Amino acid sequence: MASATEIKAASPTLVAKVTHYLHDGYRDRSAGVIEEPPALGDARWTDQLILSGWYMAEHGHSPEFREHRTGASGGGFDRLRFKFERDALFAADAAGAEAESARAAVDMSLVLNRRDTARKLTIKVPWYGGGMSFGSVSENVMVSRARAAKAWGTLTCTGEGGYPAGLNPYADHVITQVATGLFGVREETIQAAPIVEFKYAQGAKPGLGGHLLGDKSTTSVAQIRESVPWVSLFSPFPFHSVYSVEDHKKHIDWARTINPDALISVKVSTPTDVDMVAVGSYYAGAHIIHLDGSYGGTGAAPEIAKKNIAMPIEYAIPRVHKHLEKEGIRDQVTLIASGGIRTAFDVAKSIALGADGCVLGTSELVAMGCTRCSNCERGRGCPFGLTTTDPELQEWVQPDWGAMRLGNMYAAFDRQLREICRRCDLPSIAALRGRTDLLRFVAEGE
Amino acid sequence: MSTESWIDAVSAARRALPIPARNLRDEAAEGGCGVIGLAASVPVDGKHLLRSLTQMRNRGNGKGGGIAAVGLDAAWLGVDPALLESHVLLAVAYLDADARAEVERDHVHADYDVAHLHEVATLPDYTAIEGLEVRPPDVVLYLVRPKADRLVDFASGFAAPHGASPSAREIEDEYVFQSTFRLNVEHYAGERGNRAFVLSHGRNLLVLKMVGYADDVIRWYRLEELGAHVWIGHHRYPTKGRVWHPGGAHPFIGVNEALVHNGDFANYAAVCDYLAQRGLRPLFQTDTEVSAQVFDLHLRLYGYPLEYVIESLAPTTERDFTMLPEHKQRLYEALQATHIHGSPDGPWFFIIAQSLNEAWRLIGITDTSMLRPQVFALQEGEAQIAFAASEKQVIDACLESLSAEDPRFWPRADRYWNARGGSHTDGGAFAFSVEPDATSPSGRRLVCADKFGNPVTLPADMPAALAQGAGGGMGNGAANGAGEGSGSLVAGGGGSVAHAASNGNGNGTGSAPAYANGSTAPNERTIAGLPAASYSALQTALDGLVADAASGRPDARSAAILAISRVINGSHTTGALRRSSVRTMADEALAAVFDATRTAPCDAYRGFNKADLAPNGVPESGQVPAPTDEAQTAVVDARDFDVEGDVSLARAVVWLHRAGWRRLLLHSCRGHRFIGSGLGSETTDLHIDVYGSSGDYLGSGIDGAVIVVHGSAQDQLAQIQKRGELVVHGDVGQAFLYGAKGGRAYVLGNAAGRPLINAVGRPRVVINGTALDYLAESFMAGDPLRDGGFVVLNGMRWDETAGWLSLDTPYPGGNLFSLASGGAIYVRDPHHRLGEDQLNGGDFARLTDADWAVVEPLLQENERHFGLTLARLLTVDGQARRPADVYRKIQPAKNKALQAEEAWVASAEVEPEGV
Repeated sequence: MASATEIKAASPTLVAKVTHYLHDGYRDRSAGVIEEPPALGDARWTDQLILSGWYMAEHGHSPEFREHRTGASGGGFDRLRFKFERDALFAADAAGAEAESARAAVDMSLVLNRRDTARKLTIKVPWYGGGMSFGSVSENVMVSRARAAKAWGTLTCTGEGGYPAGLNPYADHVITQVATGLFGVREETIQAAPIVEFKYAQGAKPGLGGHLLGDKSTTSVAQIRESVPWVSLFSPFPFHSVYSVEDHKKHIDWARTINPDALISVKVSTPTDVDMVAVGSYYAGAHIIHLDGSYGGTGAAPEIAKKNIAMPIEYAIPRVHKHLEKEGIRDQVTLIASGGIRTAFDVAKSIALGADGCVLGTSELVAMGCTRCSNCERGRGCPFGLTTTDPELQEWVQPDWGAMRLGNMYAAFDRQLREICRRCDLPSIAALRGRTDLLRFVAEGE
Repeated sequence: MSTESWIDAVSAARRALPIPARNLRDEAAEGGCGVIGLAASVPVDGKHLLRSLTQMRNRGNGKGGGIAAVGLDAAWLGVDPALLESHVLLAVAYLDADARAEVERDHVHADYDVAHLHEVATLPDYTAIEGLEVRPPDVVLYLVRPKADRLVDFASGFAAPHGASPSAREIEDEYVFQSTFRLNVEHYAGERGNRAFVLSHGRNLLVLKMVGYADDVIRWYRLEELGAHVWIGHHRYPTKGRVWHPGGAHPFIGVNEALVHNGDFANYAAVCDYLAQRGLRPLFQTDTEVSAQVFDLHLRLYGYPLEYVIESLAPTTERDFTMLPEHKQRLYEALQATHIHGSPDGPWFFIIAQSLNEAWRLIGITDTSMLRPQVFALQEGEAQIAFAASEKQVIDACLESLSAEDPRFWPRADRYWNARGGSHTDGGAFAFSVEPDATSPSGRRLVCADKFGNPVTLPADMPAALAQGAGGGMGNGAANGAGEGSGSLVAGGGGSVAHAASNGNGNGTGSAPAYANGSTAPNERTIAGLPAASYSALQTALDGLVADAASGRPDARSAAILAISRVINGSHTTGALRRSSVRTMADEALAAVFDATRTAPCDAYRGFNKADLAPNGVPESGQVPAPTDEAQTAVVDARDFDVEGDVSLARAVVWLHRAGWRRLLLHSCRGHRFIGSGLGSETTDLHIDVYGSSGDYLGSGIDGAVIVVHGSAQDQLAQIQKRGELVVHGDVGQAFLYGAKGGRAYVLGNAAGRPLINAVGRPRVVINGTALDYLAESFMAGDPLRDGGFVVLNGMRWDETAGWLSLDTPYPGGNLFSLASGGAIYVRDPHHRLGEDQLNGGDFARLTDADWAVVEPLLQENERHFGLTLARLLTVDGQARRPADVYRKIQPAKNKALQAEEAWVASAEVEPEGV
């Protein structure tokens, strides 16, 4: 079997043709120039949200003519609103120089290290990119994300599939994930990382390890993971070196021995005792507790697991937030939420519920053209060239274009979050944390 | 009355007991832990647990510590031994001093006649103990018997019209149990909060616990001089609640036993339900409590033999179950069907101290998934001692402390072993009973047995150990005569030493000590070339080496280190001398050589300790001295370095490497973790020798370095190892080479559970013993014939008298090479003991010449390290065999290749551009 570098790229003519039509489609359909695609999205990710994502990624601001804040799932963040959203003057009031300068004055930074160990680290926006491995997505997608992260002073994450060389120029903005299969984890990738993320569980499939089905485990993927090509790769659950909290501490101590300067993030799903897990992680030395809720994950997670296990994220966040407060350690740890954070409003709601910031995954893929068709697990299943390492399909997304799309979406998120802070009369996004009084529950049928 | 009706009557009586005011199940919490237990034929003072427990603090968080002691020194209580034996030792913890008068009036004096009262002395001020946040409870001990009239009343409640009555002891125990339950409900789990609770209520059994570390318990209650035959110490690592109550710390009690555990359960609620159906309720908010209740229920009320109790806690499953005799299968099936809901599900390791009429006992039970670290050990001389602990290093720490004071002990155990939980051969559970024995000087002896009651003994003909009394006891005593006339003994071991490897010394074969040169007559006893006709002869030789080394001549130092290391490493017979004693002497001699490198450094060796390298914490760059010569070895005394963290031994290795050192020798390790981690990529020229009790994660992430561990190693070794070489002159613990990418590894002995799980790339490994189970699960290491990885499993063990022997089976577990997609296992299995039923995703294949071409060089290297020769490996029943008749290959079963995608990519590779 030849190595990946020897595989001929897809025909440039074909790449040009396909990307041209794809890009036109993302632009024109989201702007309403041509008809909206039939049967797009689902209740959580409605067609309006997907098209809004495309619009933001094209224009750098949110479309006022579409629903870009909530979906139609009938639960979760879709049943929460900011109280000010009742205000009919919302859109009109946002314009004007005074509002513009008020928005500009809002401090959007997120302090990631609140302890006195490891490096100081603050990112400029209250979100960063979640782990998507080489194998689950292409190197082009990873590099697109890393470029956007660098441009916006935030971070992205390797996921569990090694550290493709294309990420090296962005090393200060790339989190190294250590997950249960230890695929592609090497000392130098831990030493290069500002943050080492231990993925104990994934919200989309708690109690299950990673899955990369055989037809995505191509020669290039197998090469970086040093596995056998075309064999399905299952990361175990849990870590074989961690079966209790003192093992967990030892695990963290190990990473800190390799890189004493790196922050430690502990990514967990939301079991019923998630508050205990968070406290235990803090005492084990973690800087970041990352709660991954059940709405997230790709189409590759088994259907039986998706959304059927663990606690909804909007319930887990306040529970952990309050428990950390009760323990008197809330200000020594950064609480991050992920798993179905689709919009800037989801980010703001998470923070109002008690998180410090959020991690984005699917919404970034949507910015780059994802339609939520759920064919992610197949090697040639993704028609948009995102969740694939197929030598041809991966060419549909080029880093220049991908980073531009993500940067535009970030700009739109940034503007919306600033506006939310302005509406709530808050000087910073950090001041929004735990302000459940600014939210209201939307009754059914309202 | 029938047994059933006694059980029913007791269960009914328990249901009628008061109900806790608060719903405690919802508050249940648990975390991880560190444990040590010991049992000895002679009393052991509490102070000897201090260093063990201090060294194991990183397994707790100071939010719960406890001890249990059985077979106490009656003088400590100020009573006659007979009184201590005949009475119940009721230990009550008073969190609120005001509760005492009420508790004594309403419970102690109401239920019991009190023969003696003893207030446990404490230090004057708890804040003097660093880190103690909560004042430990005041503890009062009462030696009591149930009030005769109350007991008669109580027993009448169980009177039945016919059948055998329960014994007086059974009735009394249940009386005590119910009395305690009422006290705890009223004063601990009641509306008035946590005021007082019963710590223990057995005979000659004491539990003390508090919010702190277990060693703090010994300090605070001044147990340093308390002698006891059985001890348990336990650090807890709870994860819930800012206020931790001493009642939540381990141990927990039945009546006649105290139980600690490491791990947690997934089915706490189910076990609670199981107990509730039998009239039992938890009061202390932790899963450990319910396991103590299950143990007590089965043993005391149901009257099960210990074997059944162990089976109901740790059910035998999978292949091990099918390997049991049929009658056992039927019995165990019945036990499992009845009690599975009371069986703790999850990773755990129980250590139990028990006080019965017939024996004081230490019991260690491993869970059937083998997910918690555990080590057992045994030392037998004039006195006998056994251990069960989370780590080997804490056993050694205790023995070292003990042997420094008591000449009946010495610093190394005769045998250390990991248990295979749920094994059909020994059950993975061991009981160490201190029984009366008129023939023993101490009046007691230690008897060890496995789950099935089979005795666990050291070889009967073991040479006498070296007495360690004043003056060293050299040159006289029983030891010298032992083993006379047992014939010639040959030094068989190779014994590699890393730092000397590229000096041209050839891994211990060069620069042989003077004592090994020529002068040894064929029939003269030697150990690795040193005279060994007697302890005094060996000591003289060692002293000579130490003296030579002290001269400061580099070659003398090197020769001494090599020679003594070979004594420690080798698979050689120690003949008339006890191996553990020889090991002790060699360790002491090496310590002297190493210490001298610091006081008198030379061109070849320069010693450092923490004060030298990190006087003020992490050193600035440039602060760590560079070697004077590329070949100079840094000798690092591990003792003062932290076990983990910024000023750990592992970081010192990184500092030294950055300062230019390429040869490191680390000694006196006490559980130091992560040695070899943090070096980064490309460390091919680095050589590290490790002496002492090294800790977890050693060699994890190495990329080219060579690490030699002179002794057994701990858990999680060589995780993600990429390149380089790891040599372990002993056993390795759990999850060895997890996620490894490459490199070589050689293990003299066994690997515990889950070695090489999820390993990829090209690791090549020789395990000369066996593995507990799950060897090379999800192995993905390519094709061994095309630069891929593989494991050679030799299934051999070193026997003191017979040399290298084949194990009964090269692999005892039911999960070998499960779900593997790449690599191979080459297993030495000439009699085809392994069967298809042990594989899940692998196939047996015949060894080809191409296979042997990759295996042979690795075994030659293995021979160089350990002295296990290729010729011996290829000898079966005294006959030399061909490799293909000795080794079998296990390879991945044919994968369902995803033809369509593979074909498409293959075509994409060759298609011209611009279609």
